[in-house]
Amino acid sequence: MHKVAIVGGGATRCGKREATWRDLIQEAGKAMFANIPNLSPKDVDSLFVGAAEPGRFAFLSHVAPLVAECLGIMPRKVLARTELMCASGQAAIRYAWACVASGLSDVAVAFGAEKMYMPDMAEAQTNMSCVLDREWDGVNALSAPPFFAMTAQRHMHEFGTTEEQMAQVCVKNHKYSALNPLAQFPKEVTVEDVLKSLMVAPPLKLLDCSGITDGAAGVVLVRAEDAKKYTDAPMYLIGSGQANIGNNVNNLASLSEWIPLKIAAKEALQSAKITLSDVDIAELHDCFTISEIMEYEAFGWCERGKGGKFIEEGQSCIGGKVAVNPRGGLLGCGHPLGATAILQAIDIMQQFRGEVPKGRHVQDAEVAVAHNLSGPANVHSILVYSR
Amino acid sequence: MLDFYPLQDPKTTEVSQFFQNLKQGKLTTTKCKKCGQLLWPPRILCANCHSNELEWVDLGTEGELYAFTEVRIGAPLGMVQDAPFCVGLIRIGGLTISSRIDNAKYDQLKIGDKLQLKIVELADGRVFFRFTKPQ
Repeated sequence: MHKVAIVGGGATRCGKREATWRDLIQEAGKAMFANIPNLSPKDVDSLFVGAAEPGRFAFLSHVAPLVAECLGIMPRKVLARTELMCASGQAAIRYAWACVASGLSDVAVAFGAEKMYMPDMAEAQTNMSCVLDREWDGVNALSAPPFFAMTAQRHMHEFGTTEEQMAQVCVKNHKYSALNPLAQFPKEVTVEDVLKSLMVAPPLKLLDCSGITDGAAGVVLVRAEDAKKYTDAPMYLIGSGQANIGNNVNNLASLSEWIPLKIAAKEALQSAKITLSDVDIAELHDCFTISEIMEYEAFGWCERGKGGKFIEEGQSCIGGKVAVNPRGGLLGCGHPLGATAILQAIDIMQQFRGEVPKGRHVQDAEVAVAHNLSGPANVHSILVYSR
Repeated sequence: MLDFYPLQDPKTTEVSQFFQNLKQGKLTTTKCKKCGQLLWPPRILCANCHSNELEWVDLGTEGELYAFTEVRIGAPLGMVQDAPFCVGLIRIGGLTISSRIDNAKYDQLKIGDKLQLKIVELADGRVFFRFTKPQ
């Protein structure tokens, strides 16, 4: 196995964009290649495109060759779209990593894109309802907000977590997204703003939920020994973990404790040969405020049930026990499904390179974890990066 | 066009028995005769031991509310006109299954409530299950 490095990347601004799926990939592709002047599209031999539902959101399928065509890439080793719903972008990175690590590929692009704004937004909501077991859970209107609302209800019921504590996750992440020019919501909010926002599915309010987002992003992976050909500041991929338990809500391990995440986190740290205290930055999948709280617990930064107290004490802010989502998170930056993990990777790289604004820069960071969950939190995927 | 509801007749699914049972007021699922694994949703293969020898078991008609919420905005097409409506996870017959909850608003429900099985008939003759809070 070769050690693998990410040598650069680029992205679109996220949000409600006046742009098609095809426009977004061209914008992100240009930014990605501009970030790596020594790399020509002709050097890329493999391409993975993380895209959760282009068939439904943009009425496009077979999108990997569309990206190749638009960016002047001619894949000749491995080409595929990768789908793992909200972790589709991480799936693209994982596949690219495996291809480069194995020696099959020399230069692989992990790309991600989602165009979620549609002429009729009820159709967009409908698209999100075939993610959970469509005939047995989706049929009961279990898309993400109702499912995570019940998750939050159980966490509140079992551990006393409060709506104010959940709101504080949104406040923290917006504090950082206010300093991120790519963010969908680049402005600060207060606990009161969150609590007074529109009720979506109690106890979750609009600001407890990440947005509907258009966006695209790409990164380039090569063998570590080749990295210096492309950049003075490569970011190394040093570990990973992934676990899945069940699919239908009846078959989940637990509603109030994310056991697959505990398994994936343990594997990620072991494979990177690090401990939790080595982690300086954690990009955690805050699709909902309750998610980030449960992720503190499953990783082990605090005990089970104490995630609410952890954010209340400011331990997940920059300067706390671990800097969680200094990018601004999904809550602040938006969640263009297939692009999300790529956006996380680019921001971590920029953190290591000292290219982010002072107010959200984690000084001297050496190690970061990037986490995505998908579906009813039955799948958790983690990558470990180092400077 | 496909909609959210499962296809139900023997020409379209190998678990049509579930829907025939449902039409008779019975909520059932498959259980493996070989290893005893209870399987939800109904299957034709035991995920535990890969046996095809499955039997139908009755789950009963009374469940206990484990978690719930109310869909206020963002309901998918086909359900928009029903909003707001409650959904929950219901413990019944050794399972914890999702269901819509009729006949109750969010503020009238609490964890642990006893709920009753209800069969709903769709316009095209298909059936599905929901739960209601007894008045």
